[in-house]
Amino acid sequence: MKELMTSPYFGVGLSVVAFWIGEKLHNKLKTPICNPLIVAIVLIVGVLLIFDIPYDSYDVGGALINMFLAPATACLAVAIYTKIDVLKKYWLPIVVGCTAGSAASMASVFGMCKLFGLDQSMTVSLIPKSVTTPIAVSISEPAGGVVPITVVAVIFTGILGSILAPTLIKIFHVKDSVAAGLAIGACSHAVGTSKAIEIGEIEGAMSGLAIGICGIITVLFSMLIM
Amino acid sequence: MKILKQFGVIFGVCWVSLVIEHYLPFSFPASVIGMILLLICLLTGFLKIEHVQEKADFLLGNMAFFFVPAGVSIINYFDILKSTVLQLLVICVVSTIVTFAVTAYVVTLTVKLMEKKKGGRKA
Repeated sequence: MKELMTSPYFGVGLSVVAFWIGEKLHNKLKTPICNPLIVAIVLIVGVLLIFDIPYDSYDVGGALINMFLAPATACLAVAIYTKIDVLKKYWLPIVVGCTAGSAASMASVFGMCKLFGLDQSMTVSLIPKSVTTPIAVSISEPAGGVVPITVVAVIFTGILGSILAPTLIKIFHVKDSVAAGLAIGACSHAVGTSKAIEIGEIEGAMSGLAIGICGIITVLFSMLIM
Repeated sequence: MKILKQFGVIFGVCWVSLVIEHYLPFSFPASVIGMILLLICLLTGFLKIEHVQEKADFLLGNMAFFFVPAGVSIINYFDILKSTVLQLLVICVVSTIVTFAVTAYVVTLTVKLMEKKKGGRKA
């Protein structure tokens, strides 16, 4: 039985089924908490713990799915390309907004870490948490951060962004699609972008753009302060 | 065959960006290099949108799903998280909202200033 679990079919199959259940629940309940990604993660973690299946067995299939992350990120270029007129027209607000957003993210994390009395390694682990996982890790690791903490904070932030995005757009009265998309990308990178794509084409393209620009700006800022 | 070709093109772009990442003097993630590279290919006409459209639609449409295994990996870090989970939650929630608000506000403000300047020039 154990060897059957290490087949890649197990991890991929379990992920698809869990995500499908999440999607069904999401369509039925219509609450943002019922995010398909969260439901899938909770279900899979539950299955692994209850049946005592090692994470590494699941990850044989999981790694296959993970492989599609980089191509999916690259494909955001297609979304940006189809909205290239928006990029040309709004390049200044895009750059200024992403710079301000990245600075706000890093400053707010730094401030709260000091407030909670977290140590230096925890602080540098969390500072890059609003940018996409590979960039965040490349910032936190050389600065002495704990990589798993960075990864968890990045993913959690992304899920939060995708849950909160529609509500935040309403609360802050963001009427402009460009501003909404950039804000989603700046605060919750690629996971948030998956939600922005659902909200609208311009939102999706701008959110994708923000991943890249905020990533670059955050790297530059962290070179200055760390 | 069409989809297969598109797979080849996009995976090819990703591989080239891995090569670029390897030779860059500073650390920069391959996925973002891939995004910039693909955008350059499309803008210069080296690749046409028809070369990648369906595959891109598939990848972008299912983007959230590809994050499932990354999220499940949290299972490995339960021990590290136990002591700081509350602070972590607060930090993530607050900074996400702050970042969203600041970005949205600054973008809206800059757009308004731009339009005002344009309007001023006309008048």
